[in-house]
Amino acid sequence: MGRLSDRRAFEQYAAQAEQRWETLWSGDRWVISVGISECSIAKGALETYRHLELLLSDGHIPGVLRRVGCAGWCFAEPFVEIKLPGQPPIVYGWMTTDRVPDLLDALRRGELRPEWALGVRAGESWRGIPALREHPFLRSQRRLLLEQAGIIDPESIDDYIATGGYRAFLKALLEMTPEEVVNEVKTSNLRGRGGAGFPTGIKWESGRRTPAWPKYVVVNSHEGEPNVFKDRRLLETNPHLVLEGLLIGCYALETQHGYNYIGGEHALALRRFQKAVEQAYELGLLGDNILGSGFSCHVRVRTGGGAYICGEGSALMYAIMGQRGQPRTKPPRSVEEGLWKRPTVLNNTETFASIPAIIRNGGSWYAALGTKESTGTKLVTMQGPVRYLGVAEIELGMPMRQLIFEVFGGLRDGYRFKGVQTGGVSAGPLREEELDVPVDFDALTPRGAMLGSGGFVVFDDTVCAVDFARYLVAFSRFESCGKCTPCRLGTPALVEILDRIRHGFGRPEDLDVIRYASKHIIDLSLCGLGQVAPMPLLGMLERFREEFIEHITERRCRAGVCPMTAVAPIAL
Amino acid sequence: MKPTKAGQTVDLEPLRRVLEERFRPRDYREAQELVVGACQEAQRLFGWVPPEAAQLIAEHLGVTTNRIYGLLTFYADFRTEPPGRHFLWICHGAACYVAGAGRLVEFLHERYGITGQGTTPDGALTVHVFNGCLGVCDLAPVAQLDHHEYVGLLSLERLQALIAELQGEAQTEAADGSTE
Ligand SMILES: Cc1cc2nc3c(=O)[nH]c(=O)nc-3n(C[C@H](O)[C@H](O)[C@H](O)COP(=O)(O)O)c2cc1C
Ligand code: SF4
Ligand code: FES
Repeated sequence: MGRLSDRRAFEQYAAQAEQRWETLWSGDRWVISVGISECSIAKGALETYRHLELLLSDGHIPGVLRRVGCAGWCFAEPFVEIKLPGQPPIVYGWMTTDRVPDLLDALRRGELRPEWALGVRAGESWRGIPALREHPFLRSQRRLLLEQAGIIDPESIDDYIATGGYRAFLKALLEMTPEEVVNEVKTSNLRGRGGAGFPTGIKWESGRRTPAWPKYVVVNSHEGEPNVFKDRRLLETNPHLVLEGLLIGCYALETQHGYNYIGGEHALALRRFQKAVEQAYELGLLGDNILGSGFSCHVRVRTGGGAYICGEGSALMYAIMGQRGQPRTKPPRSVEEGLWKRPTVLNNTETFASIPAIIRNGGSWYAALGTKESTGTKLVTMQGPVRYLGVAEIELGMPMRQLIFEVFGGLRDGYRFKGVQTGGVSAGPLREEELDVPVDFDALTPRGAMLGSGGFVVFDDTVCAVDFARYLVAFSRFESCGKCTPCRLGTPALVEILDRIRHGFGRPEDLDVIRYASKHIIDLSLCGLGQVAPMPLLGMLERFREEFIEHITERRCRAGVCPMTAVAPIAL
Repeated sequence: MKPTKAGQTVDLEPLRRVLEERFRPRDYREAQELVVGACQEAQRLFGWVPPEAAQLIAEHLGVTTNRIYGLLTFYADFRTEPPGRHFLWICHGAACYVAGAGRLVEFLHERYGITGQGTTPDGALTVHVFNGCLGVCDLAPVAQLDHHEYVGLLSLERLQALIAELQGEAQTEAADGSTE
């Protein structure tokens, strides 16, 4: 298949893809889809897939076996969706190889095995199996980015196109000026999903305004935080969505230089995005003179290797340029001087993935979702002992309580909620009584908490506040790039004090030293890492002060975690 | 992954081929952008980045070896020494931490003196404490073995058993190797 030469050629191609998609779902064969992503591979999805392949190979079941991406319900992996002719598709969870033959046998006998079903993809329940969208995990979600997650094959551009993909890019490219695209994004009030929540449209506009060329547009898929795994899931499950967003970004900046910087550990995300790029080149959606429009765009994929700091904007750009990924002072901002000293627009993976829907449906449509100042939907992950662990997509503004106890199903049996850490290593926790706060960009901040990239960690009373604070600060200490003194020396000092307290050698004045040292680190550090490194500690100290005091005055750790040794510790 | 044993001569041919096929910068800028990727290729091929490979990459891309080592020592994932026969990532992300990974990491330190990464004295196993989330928090605390297999819901006992098993395996492998 050659490059598509113009819009008509694309429409024809899309019509064929849609036709095939229709035929697949309305045919007289079984359609069996297996979710293959890093999270399900870890639980044996590849074995499940091979087992199904084997069972289908004898020809007793006229079936098509498909690969799909992660649908967010990590807790039910590996999952298999089966559609029998004339029936709605049913999603089965926990489908390890040992259950596969049972399930197929049952289905051939006409039994549905409702006890293994997560739900049926239909408007309402069907033969005793509830509708999938009524599942507690999905009921309150609002899925835009994950709409096709677990439905399309992430490695098939045809699946993406058959379900409406690349229409937003075509609309931008062929019907809108770059200014109109930027205006639409401004109207949507979309704010950056990478942590800081800066308005995307304004960033794009600044990038356009800087009179220097060439310009660069970069996706930040580094995701090195210890508390979140949404970007890689998105890339694994729908890489073309991110690519389409990037293409629209390049068009808005009138540049042919697009990049995606992906953390080297995210092997599958990397592979699938690379494949998406290759497919787009083959079809002529990337390359020179796209669809005869005169617009050209080239996307390069770059990777890093295990340095959290490379997620920071300026560090990331140095990393792409083959230098050590260390931040620099600002100004100039990246939109003025970024990659190769040229104006560079950097946005998070999820930010780019939100763009196609905005272009398709309009900025004001998007702005009506979420709250006034935090529009749209957000991917969130919840870690810790919750029932429905996975990736969810919610409208911003949902109360934290609902997020934890409804969407993520609350704590598993035997665990008692103690707190929820927000903003990863960049902010503090919330206690039970604060959970009515809405999850958005602004409401959490006055409480010392933060939406950040959307990764939350629920912890129970087997976790010690002092020890957990130590973990979070130690993460920043380890990842400090060492360029500036307050962070390089300040974070180890905090860890040392915390270790002293953990070992039972804390002094009452330590709490003042913590506050004093923290202020210095926050005020004087060069980049975001140092500027927020003490936040988790300050938050823990404020919320669980009594535990810190207990450690110091009574040498007691109520969670029974801290070592409380007879001799003072030596700093590691 | 095929780890190269220390002292063994490194066959650079596969790396040379990959470089010539896939690392063909059009200008100096692009050459610099490709350095990290080339090092990753080398590590994929050899299990670490041997000095000879660093040299070859430097020559191929027209940068200094200094520059290469600047990067190799900056990123946690690169190894400038050959790893053990097996490679284990212990996840030290937040989910794994609240599920008890801290005890596992402490154990590695006490038993083998490993803080960030290190190899057991018998060369059987390189352990790397992964400062981030492996993305399969459902299995916390979790480890990833030889870059593909996950071992989840680790307790201290399970980790010890796993290490013992890998050490035993490595011994047999070593014995097999010497009879070849
Ligand atoms: C230490 C540090 C690490 C960061 N890591 C990431 C990251 O992994 N992914 C990301 O998108 N943004 C990360 N950021 C935020 C970026 O600097 C930048 O604000 C963001 O990519 C901009 O995109 P957005 O406006 O779409 O959020 C990090 C910031 C700091 C200070
Ligand atoms: S604050 Fe820390 S991470 Fe940031 S530049 Fe300074 S030393 Fe590096
Ligand atoms: S924190 Fe260990 S897998 Fe996510």
